[in-house]
Formats: sequence, structure tokens, C-alpha cells
Amino acid sequence: MKEDLLWVEKYRPKKIVDIIGNDEAKAAFVEWLKNKRHTKKAILLYGPPGVGKTTLVNAAANEFGFRVIEMNASDTRSEKAISAVAGPATSFVALDTFSTESKGNILFLDEVDGIAGNEDRGGVSAIVRIVEESRIPVIMAANDPDLQKLRPLKKVSALVRFHQVRIPLIIAMLQKICHKEHVKAEFEALERIAENSRGDVRSAINDLQSLAETTKTLTLQDTVVLSARNKDISMDETLRSYFSAESLLEAAMLLSRSSVDYDDLLMAIGDNLPLRYGDPAELAEAYDFVSQADMYRGRIGVENWHLLKYFFNSLSEAAAVSPESYKPFTLISPPIRVITLFWTKGKRTMLDAICSKIGQKCHVSRATAKQDFIPFLKVLLAKQKAASALSWLGLQPEEVEFLTKMNKF
Amino acid sequence: MAADEDGVMWVEKYRPKTLNEVVDLRDIVESLKAFMRNPKTMPHLLLAGIPGTGKTTVALCIARELFGQNWKTFTLELNASDERGIDTVRDRVKDFSRYSRAAFGNVPFALIILDESDQMTSAAQTALRRIMETSSRTSRFILICNQSGKIIEPIQSRCAIFRFSKLDRKAMIDHLCCIAKKENVSLAPEAAERIVDYAEGDLRHAINALQTAAAYREGLVDEKTVSQVIGEASPIQVQLMIRKALYGDFIEARKMMYELIGSFGFSGSEIVRQMQRELFKMSSLTPEQKADLSNIIGEYDYRLTQGANSDIQLSALLAQFAKVGKAKGESS
Repeated sequence: MKEDLLWVEKYRPKKIVDIIGNDEAKAAFVEWLKNKRHTKKAILLYGPPGVGKTTLVNAAANEFGFRVIEMNASDTRSEKAISAVAGPATSFVALDTFSTESKGNILFLDEVDGIAGNEDRGGVSAIVRIVEESRIPVIMAANDPDLQKLRPLKKVSALVRFHQVRIPLIIAMLQKICHKEHVKAEFEALERIAENSRGDVRSAINDLQSLAETTKTLTLQDTVVLSARNKDISMDETLRSYFSAESLLEAAMLLSRSSVDYDDLLMAIGDNLPLRYGDPAELAEAYDFVSQADMYRGRIGVENWHLLKYFFNSLSEAAAVSPESYKPFTLISPPIRVITLFWTKGKRTMLDAICSKIGQKCHVSRATAKQDFIPFLKVLLAKQKAASALSWLGLQPEEVEFLTKMNKF
Repeated sequence: MAADEDGVMWVEKYRPKTLNEVVDLRDIVESLKAFMRNPKTMPHLLLAGIPGTGKTTVALCIARELFGQNWKTFTLELNASDERGIDTVRDRVKDFSRYSRAAFGNVPFALIILDESDQMTSAAQTALRRIMETSSRTSRFILICNQSGKIIEPIQSRCAIFRFSKLDRKAMIDHLCCIAKKENVSLAPEAAERIVDYAEGDLRHAINALQTAAAYREGLVDEKTVSQVIGEASPIQVQLMIRKALYGDFIEARKMMYELIGSFGFSGSEIVRQMQRELFKMSSLTPEQKADLSNIIGEYDYRLTQGANSDIQLSALLAQFAKVGKAKGESS
């Protein structure tokens, strides 16, 4: 029965010292657990996946005698769901372990950055409230701590950062497992697995196990399949292979392997498509497919993920409009929209301010002011007949100058 | 009256101050006047119709007729497309009904004018409905929108609905002539016709065009000046973008698209609407070509509402234009 276990579970460290890498993070966490949790009730562990955040929490609970009440992103994170699980837990414990010295429960919210969109509306604020009301320690784990929506969480908790685990440590870990599982492995093979994991211990162990399924003597040759399975194909790699795909199937396979964000992918393909197809007819056809993909994306919203296959299918079609016309080109990145909005922010702010003033005087919205008033004001300005209108609207000199410059378009 | 208060923009200067002065809306005005005689009977109002037909004007007239000189004290003007969310609307309404002395003479309420209310999501409208209920003893709402169909049923059923249709040509021309006379501008009949054609029933647009045209040659507006103004006031960037696309230069066309999005802050649907408008002004295209291109715009206008990323849909639209442009270039 033990044989059926995933190795990541089988060899998950039970003690803090057995967790490889991230010594500073471990020390900081233990320090918080021992001494600081009474002053700062919550802690946020953040860092890339597979480096031991969850393992550390469980190991610490084991050593210090806490009971862990866990929730992760697969649970619905609506406010109700969280209160239902975490609410009672937090207040109950406050009653039965009244002394702050006594050990008891820890609330562990894993993958808090999984809280997304409408589906989980209120999730973040609910967690903040729990942290504020809770009398027991709250531990949170996240991959990407910079997400806007997690900002309220960062305010109320201590932060501990995890890094990728260093390759030699992973190799040593793999060697230990090989020894216990009676697998003979070339050092280079393990090295390759470790490098390929990019510091993600979990995926390294998973890769080792799946390779060892087929052979008990692992050579570097055996690890060739790994690169194809590498889940972290970067945006650039994805785009390059996408645009040079020789068939619909190849494009589809490639997209299904890539783990880049769907919306980023859509935007990047849209940006680069005209560089791929020089012929207007081909470009129009390809954009038509991308446009359809975008409509599927719109319908998917935050819940209809079963439509994702059609999204990918349409994108793949766009890559396969005319494989024979492919010529290498330099990719546009970062996204045009992001760059444009960055450089033009000042202009938009200025225009918005002007439109606000028009709106107040003329009882219209900013959008209407922009469409119905600005064009005429510009013409009046060019004819130097706008002075009284401009002062009546209360425009500042720099705003007038802005409008004058706009005229040149 | 002082110029300060009237304003130097003619749309404001000649905005009717009383219901009697309102152009071409006899039926609506008569029903509203009945409410003015006995304000206690006035329900919430929903004014619906295309832009520039007098909805906001009528709402402001009602405010003046109810509260006289001090109408501003008793009236809260909000524009749904400017407010960031229903919470802001709620807070402002709440604050307003707290501070305004809700009774003025025989008017037992304060007035809240919510313009462009069809811009609100249905969730926001549901919240608005609550606000209307909780503040109903102290306030009356006048909701203004382009399409009453976008207002949720429960709100519609709480309002008396008035529909504003496209303004009558003759009434518009008369009004323009009347303004021209007061401003000592001689307005040629063909020029007035041309302005009204251009404005498509939107009086605000027409008056803005008239004022701009009057600035061209002191006191004289003829058809030529009007054409010139219309040309210069059109969003040149949009025309250029269409031209570049039709010329087959997709990359340049897309640059202009991003200029419109970035520097001018236009949304995808605003750009599409302007493309539609500008397309029909382009003399280099045959009516058949315009019809074909207009169909394409229509298709992508729809896709914009379905999709998630407006840049993609706009780019795809421009690519279609470039394709048509190339075919056109080869056939001629």
C-alpha cells in the first residue's frame, strides 16, 4: 500500500530540519510561531510553488503540537464559506484555550492568491476580518504576493519570503530518495531533473518518480522527455513556437503545454500577429480567429472554463493560416497596450480634467464632453475665438496649451 | 443676465430655463406642467431618448420650476458614467438628503437628477432601486437614459416614463435661426439645413457646430463654412486610421488606434462608433463600398460586446479593412 504513495507525500519532511533550503525563512517562521504570534497574529508565507511552504507549516505543527485547520483554493472562498469554516474555529478556540500560552489550533489558509474574481467576492476582506477577530494564529501561503487584491492581507500580517531551492540541495534530496527506492541513477540525470525543476522540489520529485516508473536505472538519456513536459514554458518560447508552428495540431499541442496566463497570451498574439502575416488577406483571416478566441474568452468569464478548448482551438487556427509564409521576426514585448497607457497617462489625466470642467458647466458626462465639445473647442481655439469660452469653463493655461497642441492631430 | 451665469457656450446660454421655452416636446411638457401645479403628486421620472433631444434640459427646467432661484440647493446632479460606482452614488445621495432641507414651500422633497443612468450595471441599478425606496420620503429621482430597455424593470415600474424622440427638423432649424438672430449672425438657409443634416437630431451637436461656424467669418454662416467646420471638428485621427487601413498599412493604422486609446482615452466602442460616423463622410468610397465596410464595423461592434479584450477586436476590424483595401486596390 505504501508503494502506491506519491513520493512527494511519502518523503514529505515531518520535521523542520528535514526541509531543504530556505533556512532564513524557516527561522523567521519559527521565531514568529514561538515569540511573535501574540503581537502579530497573522503571517504570510510567499514564494514560488514547491519550495516547502505547506510542508513547513505541517512540520511545525507537528513539532510544536498545534492542530492545523486548513483551507485551500479548491474550496470556494466566498465570505460565507470562509466564515463557516474559519469563524467557529477561531472563536471556539478562544474559549477552550483561554490562556494565550497554551498551544491549540492554527488556521492555515493555503493559496490565498487563488482568491479570484467574482466567484470569491469578499474572500480577501473576509480573511482580513478573520485575522482581526481571531484569537489564534493565522498562517497564509501564496505564490504571488504582489497581486493587488492581496494588499489588504499584507497590511495585517508578517511577511516571510521563500526562494527557489538551490539545485545541489535538490540533487541531494533526489539521491536520498533514489537510495530508498532502490533506483540507480546517473548523477547527470538527477542534475538534469533538478535544473529542469527550477527550484521546485515537488516537481523534481514528481519527475523522478515518473521516470523511475519505466526504469530502475536512470540515465541522462532517459531525461530527454522532461523538456517536452516542462510546464513552465515562458511567454517568449511559447510565442516563438506558436508562430512557427507548421500545423494546427502542432500549435494546439504547444498551447496546451504552455502555462502562460491566457489573457497575456491572447494580448501577445494580438500584438505580434501583423509581424507574422504580412499579407493583408492572411492577416485578416488570422485576426478573425483571434477575435473568435477573444469572444470565447469573454464567454468563459470566471466560470465557464469548459469553453477553454474552443479558445485554444481558435488561437491554434490563427497560427496555421499559412505555415509556408513563416519568416522569423523579433517579438514585440511588453504588451503595446501597457506601454501606450503608460506613456500617455499624463495626456489622459489632463483631458479628463478638462472634460470634467466642461461637464460641470454644461451638464454632461466626461465622455460626452470629450465627443461633443472638445472637437469644437479645438476649432474655436485654432481660430482664436475661444478665449471667453475657455475662461468661462475655468481652464488653466496649461490645459489650454494642451488643447492647442491636440489640434495638430 | 450676466455672461458669467449664462455662459459663453451657446448650448448653455440658450438652454431653455422654463418648460414653456423647450423646443418641440409639446406632449411631454404638458404632462410635466401638470405635476408642477401640484408637486406633491410628482412621481419619480424616467426620461429616455437619443442624445441632444432635451432630456437634461427638461430635468433642469423641472428643478427651476419647483424650487425657483435656489434650485441648486435642492437639486443633486449626478452623472452615472462619471461616478465610480454605486457606493459613490449612494453616499452622495445619502449626504445630500441629510443636508438639504427637504421641504421647500409646497414641495415636500429634494430632487436628484441621475444622468446616463443606463450606464449603470444591473447590479448597481438594483442597489439604486433600494436607494430610491429608502429615500423616497425626502427625494424624487429624475433618471435620464438613452435606452429605457437598459433600465431594470423594477425601476421602470417605479417611474413615470417619458420618451424623447428625434427632434423635428423644422423645429431644429427654427431654433438655430432664433439663436443666430440673437447673436447677430446671418445664417444662410442651406447652412442651417446642412447643420441639421449633420447633427442627426442632436440639438446640442447642432448648436455647437453653429457657434463654431459663426467664429469663422464674423457674423456670416454659409454652407461652405459649415462644411469646413464639420471637416475640421471631425476626429481626424479616426479618418486617418481608416485611410491607412484601407491603404493596406495595418501597422500604421494600429498605431493610430493606440493613439486614440492612449492619448484620447477612447474606449473600443467609442472608436467603433466614430469609425461608423466618419466612414460615411469619406468621399473616396462608393456607396456600395461604404455599405460593405459598415457591415464589417457592425460585426465587430457586436464582437466587442462579446469579447474580453477590445484591442483584439479593434485590430481584427482594422485587418478586415486592410484586406478590403487591398482587394479594392487590385481591382482598380
